[in-house]
Amino acid sequence: MGHNPRCVSQDSLFLRLTPSAVVVSRPLLRFVLPARAQFLYSQLVFPSWNPAQPEISDLVVQHDPKTLERLPVNKPEILAIFERFQNKKALRAIECIPAKEDFLDPIAVDRLMLTVHWEMQRLAEEFYHGHRILKLLRSTIAAMRSNGYTGPIRIVDVGCGIGYTIRWLAARTNLHQEGVELAGVDLNSTLIREATRLASVESLPCRFFHGDAFSADLRGQIYISTGVLHHFRGDDLLAFLRRHNSETTHAFIHYDFQPWALAPVGSWFFHVIRMRTALARHDGVLSTARAYDAKTLLSAARAAVPELTTGIYGAKIWSTPAPRVFHALVGFRPALIPQLKQSLGRMLGELQ
Amino acid sequence: MTLHLLFLLASLDGALCGCRTSMGRCPLIHKRKYYVMGVLRGVFAAQIVSGFSLICLLLVVAFSRSPLLLRADLVESARRMLFVFLPYAALVLVNIALRIIPSTDLRSATSVFFLGPLTGIRPFVMIAGVVAGIWRAQLHETIFLGLFVLALMLSVEYALNSYCSRLQQRQIQSLV
Repeated sequence: MGHNPRCVSQDSLFLRLTPSAVVVSRPLLRFVLPARAQFLYSQLVFPSWNPAQPEISDLVVQHDPKTLERLPVNKPEILAIFERFQNKKALRAIECIPAKEDFLDPIAVDRLMLTVHWEMQRLAEEFYHGHRILKLLRSTIAAMRSNGYTGPIRIVDVGCGIGYTIRWLAARTNLHQEGVELAGVDLNSTLIREATRLASVESLPCRFFHGDAFSADLRGQIYISTGVLHHFRGDDLLAFLRRHNSETTHAFIHYDFQPWALAPVGSWFFHVIRMRTALARHDGVLSTARAYDAKTLLSAARAAVPELTTGIYGAKIWSTPAPRVFHALVGFRPALIPQLKQSLGRMLGELQ
Repeated sequence: MTLHLLFLLASLDGALCGCRTSMGRCPLIHKRKYYVMGVLRGVFAAQIVSGFSLICLLLVVAFSRSPLLLRADLVESARRMLFVFLPYAALVLVNIALRIIPSTDLRSATSVFFLGPLTGIRPFVMIAGVVAGIWRAQLHETIFLGLFVLALMLSVEYALNSYCSRLQQRQIQSLV
């Protein structure tokens, strides 16, 4: 499911409550499974695994694209979306959210989102996500420094949610003492407030912002995200990646689920055992079904940010053909590549 | 010896239940103390269940027409239960021990492929263990005590989960 990805203020990147918002354009919808298997998954066996539909968390919180103000969410409208997909699990999860005069109670939604994000942090902890991203960040920062970049480096977590990655980096590393600023940005003000509160409770050297991660006042040198890419469907993925086109951008590292035949099954089992809320279980499994394969991500990145060298990081476990749960779409300034290849070796995969 | 082993396994199970029910409910980064409290809560719950089970056992033995036979039957049942519980506990402990190895992939793998599924089958292992124990029991009292202890042990995680859920809800309500 990932965090709220909609922290870029471009109108087209905001999910709209129209059928077109949930339809994925053909060129970008290439999953590992053949079309027939996809059909079986989504239509006959488990409607809640149909990758064409949005996640519940995409719909229950809406913001005005210009002002970022919270918008009321019409419960029957979002129920109608999942009715079209015959997704009873989603319908049950949404039915449980209290509403006043057909509009979802924002306080109940916020409480639910906090519960879900607290749970999601557990998954990140179990997957040692902090350690994984730190390895890449350390190499990227070292490459930038050895290439003569002496200024402060700002790492921006796009769609940071309650800011686990940034807070972990702040708590477990000394990056802030090396001239690295850690920042998290999200459109959801409740999650940002929670991230700020948690950082303050533990006196962590990091900051969180409600707004556009790519805006002039918030942009950074390195962009990271976790479980965000699959939320951008169709042309929105290209639009999102194009926003990295900036002189300040040196690198991006976007982690997301790696799709393969057993991913939804494994995810379902894992979520049934580990997650407690219906929304987290539903969206967590659907995320793996909606995740983009490496080919799609690479073609989108190469079309959107041609001046960066892009590739997929950490797709396989060690030197085996076994896929990792997460892979990362990475992009670097070409000057950083020789040193990155040296430090990351085969994990970096093929870069272009 | 057999009963002591069962008591130790119940305490271990309580500790893991306590840890598990605490997980995903504290979004801080540094939370060793929080988890220690969770584990202690689980161990405490297991002591209550064990204590209550012991009282019931003593009462049943005290009012039994053939206490010596019942005692032997109980010990034999408990011994059979260990054939199921000990391998399960060993598998869990081995996977926890493997996480000492500083490899993110290995640690994640123990979670995904072993600890997760082992958590999933826990209720079935408990049922299987007790059924294995009472299957050849000679006395109705032994069967009753086995089922009674099973119900108590299964309720430990449910009770801890309810408690932690209430704590979490209260905390979240204070935030939003």
